[in-house]
Amino acid sequence: MQLVFILEQVLNGLLVGAYYLLIALGLSLIFALGGVVNLAHGGFYAIGAYLAVILADRIGFAGALVASPLAVGLIGIAIERLLFRRFYRSDPILSLLLTFGLAMIIEQALRIVFGAAPLPFSIPSELRGQIFIGDFIYSRYRLVILGVAVAAVTATWFIVYRTAFGRVVRAGVQNPDVVGALGISLAPYMTAIAALGVGLAGLAGVLLAPIAGVHPAMGAEILTAAFVVVVIGGLGSFWGVIAASVLVGVVRGITIYFNPSWGEASMYLLMALVLLVRPRGLFGERIQRFE
Amino acid sequence: MRDEHAPLLLAALALALLPFALDVAGLPLRSAIDVVVFAIACMGLNVLLGHTGLVSFGHGAWFGLSAYAAALSQRYWFPEAIVLPFLFAIVFVAAGALLSGALILRRRGVYFSLLTLALTALLFTIGYRWTELTGGESGLGGVTRSSVLGLDLDSDRVYYWAVAAIGMAICYFLWRFHRSPAGSVLVAIRENEERARFLGYPTNRYKLIGFVLSASVVAIAGALSVFNHRFASAEPLAVAFSGELVAMVVIGGMRSFLGPALGALFFILFREFLSIWTPHWLFYFGLLFVGFIVFSPTGLVGVAGRVLAPFRKHTIEAAAMAGRRIAENAKLPQIYRRDAASEAPVLLARGLIKRFGGIHAVDGIDFMVKDRTLHALIGPNGAGKTTAFNLLSGLFPPDAGQIELAGRSIAGLKPEDITTAGVGRSFQITNLFGGLSAKENLRLAVQARSAKRFAMWATAEGVDDINKETTELVAFVGLTGMERAEAASLSYGGQRLLDMGLAIATRPRILLLDEPLAGLAAAERTRIASLLSIIATEIPVLLVEHDIDRVFQIADHVTVMNDGKVLIDGTVEDARNDAKVREVYIGSGAAALAAKPRVSAAGTTPILVVDRVDTFYGKSHILNSVSLDVREHEILALLGRNGAGKSTLLKTVIGIAPPAAGAIRLQGEDTAGFASAEIARRGIGYVPQGRGLFAGMSVADNLALGRLKRMTGAGIHWSDERIASYFPRLTDRWYAPADYLSGGEQQMLAVARALAGDVRVLLLDEPFEGLSPAVTEELFEAFDRLRYDVAIIIVDHHLDLALALSDRTVVLERGSVTWTGPSHALRDDLALRRKVLWM
Repeated sequence: MQLVFILEQVLNGLLVGAYYLLIALGLSLIFALGGVVNLAHGGFYAIGAYLAVILADRIGFAGALVASPLAVGLIGIAIERLLFRRFYRSDPILSLLLTFGLAMIIEQALRIVFGAAPLPFSIPSELRGQIFIGDFIYSRYRLVILGVAVAAVTATWFIVYRTAFGRVVRAGVQNPDVVGALGISLAPYMTAIAALGVGLAGLAGVLLAPIAGVHPAMGAEILTAAFVVVVIGGLGSFWGVIAASVLVGVVRGITIYFNPSWGEASMYLLMALVLLVRPRGLFGERIQRFE
Repeated sequence: MRDEHAPLLLAALALALLPFALDVAGLPLRSAIDVVVFAIACMGLNVLLGHTGLVSFGHGAWFGLSAYAAALSQRYWFPEAIVLPFLFAIVFVAAGALLSGALILRRRGVYFSLLTLALTALLFTIGYRWTELTGGESGLGGVTRSSVLGLDLDSDRVYYWAVAAIGMAICYFLWRFHRSPAGSVLVAIRENEERARFLGYPTNRYKLIGFVLSASVVAIAGALSVFNHRFASAEPLAVAFSGELVAMVVIGGMRSFLGPALGALFFILFREFLSIWTPHWLFYFGLLFVGFIVFSPTGLVGVAGRVLAPFRKHTIEAAAMAGRRIAENAKLPQIYRRDAASEAPVLLARGLIKRFGGIHAVDGIDFMVKDRTLHALIGPNGAGKTTAFNLLSGLFPPDAGQIELAGRSIAGLKPEDITTAGVGRSFQITNLFGGLSAKENLRLAVQARSAKRFAMWATAEGVDDINKETTELVAFVGLTGMERAEAASLSYGGQRLLDMGLAIATRPRILLLDEPLAGLAAAERTRIASLLSIIATEIPVLLVEHDIDRVFQIADHVTVMNDGKVLIDGTVEDARNDAKVREVYIGSGAAALAAKPRVSAAGTTPILVVDRVDTFYGKSHILNSVSLDVREHEILALLGRNGAGKSTLLKTVIGIAPPAAGAIRLQGEDTAGFASAEIARRGIGYVPQGRGLFAGMSVADNLALGRLKRMTGAGIHWSDERIASYFPRLTDRWYAPADYLSGGEQQMLAVARALAGDVRVLLLDEPFEGLSPAVTEELFEAFDRLRYDVAIIIVDHHLDLALALSDRTVVLERGSVTWTGPSHALRDDLALRRKVLWM
C-alpha cells in the first residue's frame, strides 16, 4: 500500500515536472538562440490559460488545446519582432529588465480584462474520473496532461534535432556569425523559436488551467519554479532542462508525500544544494557570455 | 569641492521641501514618508544594480523580512520599543543577506538575477503560509511608535522628520561609500570583473560586501515602512514589489547617485495621482518602465541630461595620443624595485599541459625565468603562447604540470591569488575598465595593493600614497596629459600602454606581457622596448611578442614554442641560428611544397574590389582606408603580423564586421553594409579561423547548412560530388559528427562547407593552422586546383605556403596596406621579405 502511495507521488511529481518542462524548455530555447531570458514567459502561460477559458466555451476543450497555444505563439511573434529583436546583441541586463516589465504589463492587462478574481474552469467532463490499474488509482485528466506534455516535448525534440529547421537553430546557437556567412539569415528562425517557445508556455497554460486555477498572478508563480529548473539544469541545455524538470518534480512529489507543507520549499532547498555542490548547474553551463 | 557635495545639498533640500510640496499637491504626510522610505530602498538596491552591475529581482525580500523582523521583535521581545526592533531588523537582515549572498553569488550574470527572484518567491511562500507567526494573509497589525528621547514619534509630522534625518544620514553614508576604495572596486567589477581579479581583487568578497550593504539599506527602509503603516504583511515579499523597486531605480536613473530617489518620488506621485483615475495604474507604470528600457535605459536623469545637453559647457577630454607629455629618461618608480636579485629562478614551469576539446594547446612545456631578465616567449600563431600565459596567471588551471613562483606552487590557484602572490599580466586583447578614466584604471590597480583597499569610509581619491604611486606610474608608461580620458576612447596604442601600466601596478614579482608592442607606431615601439629593458633590470619580464627583430635586440633569453611544445630554450643567438626556429617562424624558404612552381590562373578582370574601407570594433579603428582587388581565378595572400587587421578585413568582406566607410564591390555591386547572409548569397564563401564547424552535426549536415540558402547561381555550383572530388576523405566520414574528425578533416570540411552552394570567391583565414605536414600538403594541393574554379583570398602565417600558393600579396600593417606586389618577389627575396613583413 505504501509503495502505491509513493508511486502516486512519483507520478504526480513527473506530472509537475512535465509542466515545468513545458515552461522551462521554451525559456531555454529562446535564451539559447537569442540570449534573452524571457521573464515574461509566465505571462504567456497565463494568457494561454485565459484563452483556454474563453475558447473552451465556444470550440470545446480540444479546440482550445490547439487554438490557444497557436494564438499565444502569434503574440510571441509580435513581441519578438517589436521588442526582443532590439536586444539580442545588447547587455543581457537590459533584456532582463525589458521582459520583467513585459511580465508586469501582461499580469496587469489580465487584471484589467478579466478582473483580479480567479476564473472558474473545470476539467472537461469527458476527461474526468479515475483510472484503475490493480491497487493503483489515478486521475484520468492528469494522465492526459502527462501524455500531451510528453508528446509536445517529443515534438520539440524532433523539430530541434531532426529537421532542417532545427539544424539551422542548433547551428545558430553555436555560432551565429558563421551561420550568417553561409547565407542564412537567422532573423526568421529567431521569430519562429520565440513563437514555439511561447506557444509551449501557452500549451502548459491550457493544460493546467483546470487543475491549477486561472488567475492573473499564475504566471509569476510557475515562472519561479521554472527558474529553479533552469538554474539546476542550465539554460542552454536541452537534456539538462529535461533532467532537472523530472528531478525537481519527483523530489517535490516525494516530499509532499512525507510532509505536504514542505513541498514548495523542497525545490528551493534542492536548488541550494545543487548550487553548493555544483555551482555551475547539474550539467555545467556551456554558454559563457551569460555567466 | 562644491561640485562634489552637490548631491548631498540637493538631497537635503529635497527632504526639507518634500512634505510641503506634497501637501500643496494634496497628498498626506504619510505619502511623503513613503517617498523617503522608497528612496532609501532604491538607493540601497542601486548599490548592486547601478554600481556593481548586478540585477537583483529579489530586494523586496529584504524590505519584507525587515518589516516582519521589526514587527515581530516589537511584539514578542521589545514591547512598545522602537529603536531596538529597528536595530534588530537590520542586524537580522544583514545576517540573512550574508548567508544567502554567499550562496547566490556563486552564480553570475543572469543566473544571479534568477536566484534572487527565487529567493524572494521562497520567502513569500513562507511568509504567506506560516500563519501562526506572520498572520498570513491578514498580516501583523498593532505595531506602535513610542517616544524616543522626548520626540513623540507617534505624530506623523515628527516621524517624517525622523525618517528624513535617517534618509539624509544614509544618503551621506552611501555618498562616502561610493567614493571609498571598496566602493570604487564595485564599479570596477561592473566595468570588467575579470580584470579586477587580475589586479588581485577577490571580487566575490567585494560583491558580498555590496550585497550585504545593499540589503541592509533596504532593510532600514523596510523597518521604517512598518512603523509608518504600523502593519507588516507578505506583500513586499511578492516578486511584484521587487519588480517595482527595480522599475523605480531604472526610471529614475541607475547610473546616477540620486536617480533612484527621483524614481521613488516619481513612483509615489504616479501611483497617487493615477490611482484616482484608474485602478490599473500599475499597467501604465509597466508600459512606462518598458518604454524607458527601450528608449532611455539611463532613466529620467538620462533624459534630463539629453534635454540639457545643448545648454551645457562641453569639456571633451583629448583621447588622442597627441595631447600627452612623455617624460624623458623614465625610471621605474622606486616602489616596484627590489634590493637584490635572487639567484633562484623566479618562475618555474614543469610539464604544463592544457587541452581544449581534443587539441593540445599546451603540450608539456618546461621553462624557467631568472630574476632581472627579459625573457621572450615567441613562436607562430597558435603555438600556445597565450594559453601558457593563461595557465601561469590562473585564467584556467592546467590539466597537468607544476608552476612555482619563487619556490611556491601557484598552479591552479585563482587569478586574484596568483596576482597577489606576484604575477602581474597584461592581455593580448586589451582588457581595461572601459568606462573609467585612464587614471582611475591605474588608481584601481595601485589600490589593490594598498592596505586601505577594503576601506568603506575613506575617500578613494584622497589616499596620498596611492595617488603618488598612480601619478608616477602614469608618467612612467607615458600617459601624462591624457589621464582623464575614458579608457575605451583611447587609441589602440594608448590602451596597450594602459594595459601594461595595470600589470606593473600589481607590484609583481614577475611581469607577463602579452604583445605590448602590437598596434604601436614605430617611434613608440622603440620607446616601449626601452621601457621593457628598464623594467627588466628590476623585475623579470616574460614577454610574448611578434616583432622578432625587436625581441632579438632586447631579450636576455628566448623560449621558442611551436604546436604547444618548447622548440628551443636558450640565448638569442641560439634561437637566431636554430634551423627549426627558422623553419617554423621565418619559413625555411626551401620547403618541398614551396619549391614546386605553381601555374597562375589569374585573369585580368577584378571580381572583388575593396575600396578605401574603414572598420571599427567599438571605438577601436581596425582598418584604415584599405584598398585591394582580387581578379578572377587569382589567389591573393593577405599577410602581416598579429593584430594587423587581416582577419578583420575578411570579416568586413563577408559582412560580419561591417565597414564604417568605403565600398566593397563584388562584380560591380557594392555590398558594403549588407547583412552577411546577403553577401554570402552573392557567392562568397568564408572559412573562419578555428574553422567554426557545428559540433554534434555530421559532415552531411554541415554541408547541407552551407547549401541551404546558397543555390543562387552566383558562381560555380558545388555539388557533393564536386566537393568529394577535391576532398575525397570527407566521403568516408559522411555521417561522422564534425567534432569527431581529425584536425585535417575538420579543415577540409570547413572549406567544403564554405563552397557548398554557389560560390565564386573563397576567403580562407589561417587554413593551415595546427595541421600536420602531410595534411598541409593535401590541402595545399586542393587550393592549388581550386584556383581554376574560384578566386581566393588567403590569410596565413605559414609565409612560404601562402607565398608559394598565391599570385599576389597584400601586406597589412596596423590596419593599412603597406605593400602590394607579386608574391614571387617576396618568396624569392628574403631581404625584401624581412623588410616588408618586419621579420
